[in-house]
Amino acid sequence: MVAEARRALWLYRRLLGAQVRATLQYEADFWIMSLSAVLVQAVGVVFLWAIFRSIPEINGWQFWEVVLIYALVVVAEGLSVLVAQGAWTLAVTVNFGQLDAMLLRPYPPVLQVLSSAVGMNGLGNLVLGTGLLIAAVRHVDVSWNVGRVALGLLLVVAAAGVKIGLNLLTNCAAFWLRSPYSMFAFSMHSFGELARFPVTIYGLGVRITLTVVLPYAFMSFFPAAAVLAHGPARWLGLLTPVVAIYCLWIGTTVFRYGLSRYESSGH
Amino acid sequence: MEMVHARPVTLIQVAGLRKVFRKPEKAPGLRGSLRHLLQRRFSEHVAVDGIDLSVAQGEAVAYVGPNGAGKSTTVKMLSGILVPTAGQVLVDGLVPYRARVENARRVGVVFGQRTQLWWDLPVRDSLELLRDMHGLGAARYRETLARLDDVLGLADLLPVVARKLSLGQRMRADLAAALLHEPRIVYLDEPTIGLDIAVKDRVRSFVRRLVADGTTVMLTTHDLADIEDICRRIVIIDAGRVVYDGDLQSVKDTHVRERSMSFELAAGLPGVDRIAARLPGAQVRAGSDDRELTVTFDRMTLGAREVLAAVLAEAEIVDMHIDEPAIETVVRKVYAGQLRPEPDGGVDRETVS
Ligand SMILES: Nc1ncnc2c1ncn2[C@@H]1O[C@H](COP(=O)(O)OP(=O)(O)OP(=O)(O)O)[C@@H](O)[C@H]1O
Ligand SMILES: [Mg+2]
Repeated sequence: MVAEARRALWLYRRLLGAQVRATLQYEADFWIMSLSAVLVQAVGVVFLWAIFRSIPEINGWQFWEVVLIYALVVVAEGLSVLVAQGAWTLAVTVNFGQLDAMLLRPYPPVLQVLSSAVGMNGLGNLVLGTGLLIAAVRHVDVSWNVGRVALGLLLVVAAAGVKIGLNLLTNCAAFWLRSPYSMFAFSMHSFGELARFPVTIYGLGVRITLTVVLPYAFMSFFPAAAVLAHGPARWLGLLTPVVAIYCLWIGTTVFRYGLSRYESSGH
Repeated sequence: MEMVHARPVTLIQVAGLRKVFRKPEKAPGLRGSLRHLLQRRFSEHVAVDGIDLSVAQGEAVAYVGPNGAGKSTTVKMLSGILVPTAGQVLVDGLVPYRARVENARRVGVVFGQRTQLWWDLPVRDSLELLRDMHGLGAARYRETLARLDDVLGLADLLPVVARKLSLGQRMRADLAAALLHEPRIVYLDEPTIGLDIAVKDRVRSFVRRLVADGTTVMLTTHDLADIEDICRRIVIIDAGRVVYDGDLQSVKDTHVRERSMSFELAAGLPGVDRIAARLPGAQVRAGSDDRELTVTFDRMTLGAREVLAAVLAEAEIVDMHIDEPAIETVVRKVYAGQLRPEPDGGVDRETVS
């Protein structure tokens, strides 16, 4: 069992490595992607800074605390596109019948899909996110010890797990919508961007959606609250690893369900 | 304990297999698409309509039929890609779509229409990834690869990125990828499509060798020559149903007796009667030009040599070629109702003469 899991993980790394080599054939793309990733995220930070110029805090959250939430999103996002960007290729894979080849190889199809692409922009995200994280950590009013740092690292990884699970889940819409575009998943992803701010500022409906239905808030707001030990949300934040496992499980389950509907293509 | 088999082991067992596709019913244009969003209508399309099939270990079966007959759909259900709408599939004791990973270890599949290699990777990388997925040891991998290289000529393909391969090169690489783990069962769906004669020959002799080694092979093709020296059994399907299942030789003897030879002559012929007189039973026709000539004959009563001699006696030949009948000819005859499967799946019987 353990040996099997280790083998599966080793193969996953092999597949990702192959994708990295394939992607690096297009070196110019790599630099453009990385640079644009940094730019997009940096624009967000400037936007934050502009908001906080006119108001000192949002619902009891200071500028640097919000930067920490923001940095968490950027890092989790970076991790998820680096190791599981393949979720975003599902629409094309499914609707052009390219899943056939994956179903004929002795390795779980869901792992083949997730490892079928590497988002090199993830590196840009990681660099910027880590920078932001360090800057925020130095400004927020929290005493850092080994335990808190370990918690922070665990929650960052779990946050990435939440995002990967949700990416898989929303992209599985391809099995039902039969369109080669990931429109549905992309709009859900954009909706999830709301969780870059303290979710307490939203109405009940949005809050429940971000917490329970599509728990995007667990890739940013809740883990940040847990690390900062800020407000009642911190207890929920400790559940991030559980939520991550849940999201990955539901993504995989829906994927398996989708596979039974897969129709390949006509030739 | 040693098992004694009275009959050969059945590897593929299919009963009442059906696949129905749902197609969106959409009027053309943007308006049609928007309308479809509101009132989603679908029409059902039966691609495979109740197929029964049983293939014994070591058998080589040709699976043929006209375009759209449901051949690829059957292969996709046998290999676990598609879940059947109804019916049972059992391949080597497994239900392919339930035990996909285990099934993938035992079977090899090639779709001539589409590659299974990693598009952006050199062929060598694809093969090595497959080696690791199948968990093949270094020694066994090297050995198998050397053997495949021997027949398929892979050496100069290995460093090439898959998307830069020509069609024939890609097919050879795809065959290697599908057979790397030495599967007991191999499905080949049009493995010679679009290949030139030389590569076709190579692929054919390769498949022949597979069969000789005891691999169970199911071969789909539109080229009768592909199956002639490979398969002893032929299954013909049309509109999703089996219309014939039996011995290839007897089908050929009854339905592929016609050959035709075309000639280009040095000078125009005043008429074909004199040649026709030399070849009783054959049909002799002039082409669009009076320097062209086609002779159609029954290969059981006349030989190509006799036809050639008859034409040579009357005219000077510049060029000639023999047309091999395509599998479509057989299928068309079957379709026209000239051949019916026996209830016991045995030998064919003429119903129309
Ligand atoms: N994914 C799909 N979605 C909808 N219809 C399909 C799909 N795949 C096949 N069909 C339809 O099912 C029928 C059988 O197709 P299939 O590909 O099995 O035929 P085939 O015998 O392999 O034909 P060919 O000789 O052209 O390869 C066709 O009418 C085809 O349009
Ligand atoms: Mg086909």
